Amino acid sequence: MLMIERGHCGPARVGYVEWHGKKISLPTLLQLDEESDSPGGYSILDIWDGRSHDTSVHPLSEGIFTEIVTPPNTDLYLLPSLPGASALREETGHAILRRQLELLRENESDLNPKRAVVRIPNRVSLEDLSKALSSFKSLGVRAASLTLDGTFGPSDMNAIRLRRALPLNWTYLALGRIEPSHIPLLYYLGFDILDTGLSYRAAATDVRLWRDGIENVTEKHISPRYCTCDSCKGANLAEMPKSARYDIIAGHNHATYRAVLSEARHAMETGHLRALVEAMTHRSPALASALRRIDADLYEFLEAFTPTAGDQVLPLIGPESYNAPAVRRFRERLVDRYVPPPRKKLVLVLPCSARKPYSESRSHHLFDRAISSAVGGARREVSEAILTSPLGVIPRELERIFPIANYDIPVTGDWDAEELRLAAGALVEHLSKFPEDAVVVAHVSGGYRQVMSEAEDRIVQTLIYTDSAESATSRDALSSLESTLTDMRDVVPLKSGPQVAREETLRATADFQFGRGTGQLLIPEGANLRGKLFHLVVCELEGVQLCSFVGKNGLLSLTLEGGEILQKTGRYWVRFDGRRIRGGSLFAVGISDADPFIRPGDEVVVVNGDEEVVGVGKSEMSGREMCAFDNGRAISLRHTRE
Amino acid sequence: MVEAIEDLGRIVREANIRARKSSISRRKTRDPSRPAAKWVASAPIGKTTGTALSLVLSTHGCSHALSDAGGCTMCSYLLDGTSGEVSADNLLSQFDNGMEGLAGEPAPLSVKIYTSGSFLDESEVPLDARNSILDRLGGDERVREVVLESRPEYVTDSALESIAQRLQDRHTEIGMGLESSNDFVRRMCINKGFRTEDFTSAVNRALEHDIGTRAYVLVKPPFMTERAALEDAVQTISDAVDMKVTTVSVNPVNIQRYTLVEHLWRRGEYRPPWLWTLIEVLRRSRKNLPSSVRILCDPVAGGKSRGTHNCGECDLALVEAIRGYSLTQNIERLQVEECDCLPLWKHTLAHEGPSMFVHEDIARGLLGNA
Ligand code: SF4
Ligand SMILES: [Zn+2]
Ligand SMILES: [Zn+2]
Repeated sequence: MLMIERGHCGPARVGYVEWHGKKISLPTLLQLDEESDSPGGYSILDIWDGRSHDTSVHPLSEGIFTEIVTPPNTDLYLLPSLPGASALREETGHAILRRQLELLRENESDLNPKRAVVRIPNRVSLEDLSKALSSFKSLGVRAASLTLDGTFGPSDMNAIRLRRALPLNWTYLALGRIEPSHIPLLYYLGFDILDTGLSYRAAATDVRLWRDGIENVTEKHISPRYCTCDSCKGANLAEMPKSARYDIIAGHNHATYRAVLSEARHAMETGHLRALVEAMTHRSPALASALRRIDADLYEFLEAFTPTAGDQVLPLIGPESYNAPAVRRFRERLVDRYVPPPRKKLVLVLPCSARKPYSESRSHHLFDRAISSAVGGARREVSEAILTSPLGVIPRELERIFPIANYDIPVTGDWDAEELRLAAGALVEHLSKFPEDAVVVAHVSGGYRQVMSEAEDRIVQTLIYTDSAESATSRDALSSLESTLTDMRDVVPLKSGPQVAREETLRATADFQFGRGTGQLLIPEGANLRGKLFHLVVCELEGVQLCSFVGKNGLLSLTLEGGEILQKTGRYWVRFDGRRIRGGSLFAVGISDADPFIRPGDEVVVVNGDEEVVGVGKSEMSGREMCAFDNGRAISLRHTRE
Repeated sequence: MVEAIEDLGRIVREANIRARKSSISRRKTRDPSRPAAKWVASAPIGKTTGTALSLVLSTHGCSHALSDAGGCTMCSYLLDGTSGEVSADNLLSQFDNGMEGLAGEPAPLSVKIYTSGSFLDESEVPLDARNSILDRLGGDERVREVVLESRPEYVTDSALESIAQRLQDRHTEIGMGLESSNDFVRRMCINKGFRTEDFTSAVNRALEHDIGTRAYVLVKPPFMTERAALEDAVQTISDAVDMKVTTVSVNPVNIQRYTLVEHLWRRGEYRPPWLWTLIEVLRRSRKNLPSSVRILCDPVAGGKSRGTHNCGECDLALVEAIRGYSLTQNIERLQVEECDCLPLWKHTLAHEGPSMFVHEDIARGLLGNA
C-alpha cells in the first residue's frame, strides 16, 4: 500500500510503500545486482547510507517468450514483457498487458498480485491501457514500471505520456537508461523508484556520472574532476588498473544518483521541484525539448497536482518556464475568472517590478505617488494592470496572490518573441473585459512598450502613451504620467467617491480562488470590511464573519458561514464520511468524494452526508487524490463545526 | 478471446511477413547454370586435413520462406535464390561447375552442398537432379565427406535410403536448423515452422540409415535478452547432443536484409550477440559435452556491426579464437585476453532482463544525447 505524505509539486510524491511487510521510503532507487548469476535483478537502495535494502525486485522471466522462472524468492516481481516490442505495431502493447494478466490468473496460487509489477509497454493505446489496468487493479496489483532508453525520443515520450493514465495510488518504477540529470524530471512526473543500472554501464566505459553531465576519467590531457564522494576519496583514477577503477566509478555513480534524488526530494518538499526540473533542462537539449513537449501534452496531468498556494520564491528563468503549470494556469484563470469591477473608466498599464509584491517596490511607489496626485479620490475609476512575463497581465487586486507575489524573473527589458506573444495576448484578453469607451493609458518602456505595439491593433479602447519610451521611472516619465492622468481626469472624466480598493481586492480574489461570481456572494453589497488592505481584512455580514483576506498570501480564508456560501456554488467541496470532524486534519481515508477541480493549496469546504458544512480548510492534495487514496493528510482544517 | 500469447505470435508473424515483403520482388534473375556461390578451403576431414568445397546451389528458394508462413525471422536466403526457373539440368551444371574447383585436388575431399533452402525438398531440387548429384559424388573416390542441408520434414526414409545407397561408406551429414530446442522460442521468435519432435524424428531416421546429422543452433533469436539467448543456446546444444546429432554448428544471428531482425535492429531494438556470448556458449557446451560431438562455429560477419561483435578492439582476436577452436575442438583456443568491453557485456547480461531495456551498441552513445 502506498502512503503519501504532505507536500506537492506536480505529480511527485513523498511517502512510504509497504511490500511484503517491508516499509520502503519513497522516492528511492534501484540498485542492479551486477554480480548475481542468472537471472539478474534489483534491490532497493537506501539513499541515505547507500546500502541496498533487503528488498529485492526481480523479473519473473527474461521476456514473454522466455521460460518463467518458478516464483523467485523476491519481494516484488516484474511481470514479463517483450524486448524489442517497441518496433512492433501498437497492438503489441495490449497483447503484452493481456499476457501479464493471463500469467497472474493462471498462477494465482504462486503469484501474489500485491507483489507484482506490471510492465507497461511503451506503445499502447490509452484505452487499452486503462482497460488492462482496471483488471490488474481488481486482482490487487499496485505497482507498474515503464522502460526508458534515456534519449527522450519518440519511444520515451510515448511512455511518459502514458503516465497520466495510471492510477494515483500505485507505485511507479522507471527502468532502463536513466541518467542522474533525468531524476528530477522523472520524479516530478510521478515516478517513485528509479533504475541506477547506468552506473555500471558508465563505469564499464570509465565514465563518471555527475549531476550535470558526464566525465570520461581516462581522457588524455584533461584532468579529472575533484570529487568528495566516499568512493573517489581523491583516488587517482587515470593511473590505476581498470578493475579497481571500475568499482570506484560505479560507487561514485551510485552516490551521484543518491545525491540527485535527495536533492529532488528536498526540492519537492520545499516547493522547488519544478524549478529544479527547469534548471536541469540546461543539461541537454533533449531534456529541454522533452520538458516542452511534456508541458504541452501533459498540462492537465501536471496542473492537477500543482499547488495553488505557497510562500516559496518561484524563479522563472527562461523559456522552460513559460508554460510551467503554475504559470499557464494563472494566465488561463485570469481569462476565465477575473471580472473587472464596475465603474472602471481608465486602465493604466504599468511595468512589473523586480521586487514583489509590486506595490512595495520603489518604482510602484513612484507610480502610486504620481497617480494619487493626479487623480486623487477619482482613483476608484482607474484600474491598474501590470504587464509581466511570462504571467501576462496582473490586475492590481491580485498582486498578492500565488504565484504573483512569489515569482522572480531576470529583468533585462529584453523580451523574446514568445514572451511578447504571450503578454500581448494576455493584455488583449484583459482589456477586452473593459468597456469600449474606457481609456487605456500605457506607462511603459522597452520590452513592455513592444508588447503594447504587438497588441495595439487588437485593443478596441483609445490608447494613450505617456512620455515614457526611455524609462518608466525617470523624472520626466513620472511627470508625464502625472500630467497625462490629470488631463484624463477631466477628459474622461473621472469622478471622485469613497475608496473601494478593499472590496475590489477581496472580490477579485474570491473570483480568482473560487470561480467567477463568488466575489459577489462572499463579499456582498452591505458587507462590513475591517482592516488594512494587504494586511488582514475581515469581511462580515450582519455581524457574522464570512471570510478574511490574508495579505501575506493574497488569499481568502473562509469561516464555516463562508463555507456555506461556497457550498452553494458547487465547487471546492469535499464529502466527509462521518457526521462531525474531530482534530485539525482530515485524512483521505475519511473522504468519500471530492471536487476533482481541487488543487493542493485550495481553500475547501467539507460537507457531510447530510449536506451540512462541517469544516473549512486548506487542501493538501488534489481532489482526485482524496478519492483515490486511503491515507495521507487531505485537508488542514481551519474551522470545524462543533 | 484468443490467448494473448497466440496474439503475440500472430503479431510477430505478421511483422515478419511485412519485413520481408519486398524481398521476393528484389530477387535477381541469376544464370541458372551457375551456382550462387562456391568456395574451397582446407578443412579437417576425419583425422586428416583435406580440401573442402562449399557449394551454394541457386534454386528458387526455401519453400518455408516462399509459403504463407513467411520464413524465419532472421533469414533472407530467399534473396540468394533466383526468380527464374531452374531445371534439373541447370542444377547439374551448377554442381559440375562447382566441382571444377576440386579438379586435381587429392583426397580426402569434403563437399558441402547448400541451397537457399532444402537440398532434399523436391520442389526446390528435383529428384532427378538430386539423384544425379548424389551419383556423381558417389562415383568420385576422393570424396570422403558430404554435408547436405535440409529442413527435417524432407529427411524421409526414401530420401535417406537413396542417399545411403549412393554415397555408400562416405561420412555423410545432413544439416538441419534446429535453432532452439525450446518449441516456444523456435515458434515465437524464429517462426521456424516445425516442432522439436519433428527434428528428433529426422535425427532418428537418419541414424537408422547410418547417416549423420548436424544441428544448426541459433545464438540470439530476436525478442530475447542477451542472457536468455545465451542460456537458450547452451541448452539447445546440450539437447541436440542428447538427441544424438553428430555435429553441432553454432550460428550467431547476423543481420540479413529484409528480415524482421533487420527491422528491429534498425530501430535499436536488437543487437547481434556479443562475441563474448558466443565464446561463453562454446565454453560451457564444450565443458559439459562428450568430446565425440564436434561443435563448429564460423561466425558470419564476425566483428562487423551486422554480425556477432564486441567493441571493435577485441573482435578480431575473438573471431580468430572461435575459428581456431572450431577447427581443432581444443577448448584452450577459446582462452582470450580480457578486453575493456567485458564489463559492458556483463552489464548487458545483468541489466537487460530486469529492465527490459534493449542494450544496443555503445557506438550509439553511452548517454543518449551525448
Ligand atoms: S532459415 Fe532455413 S528454413 Fe528458415 S527461411 Fe531460411 S532457409 Fe528457410
Ligand atoms: Zn566521486
Ligand atoms: Zn572489446
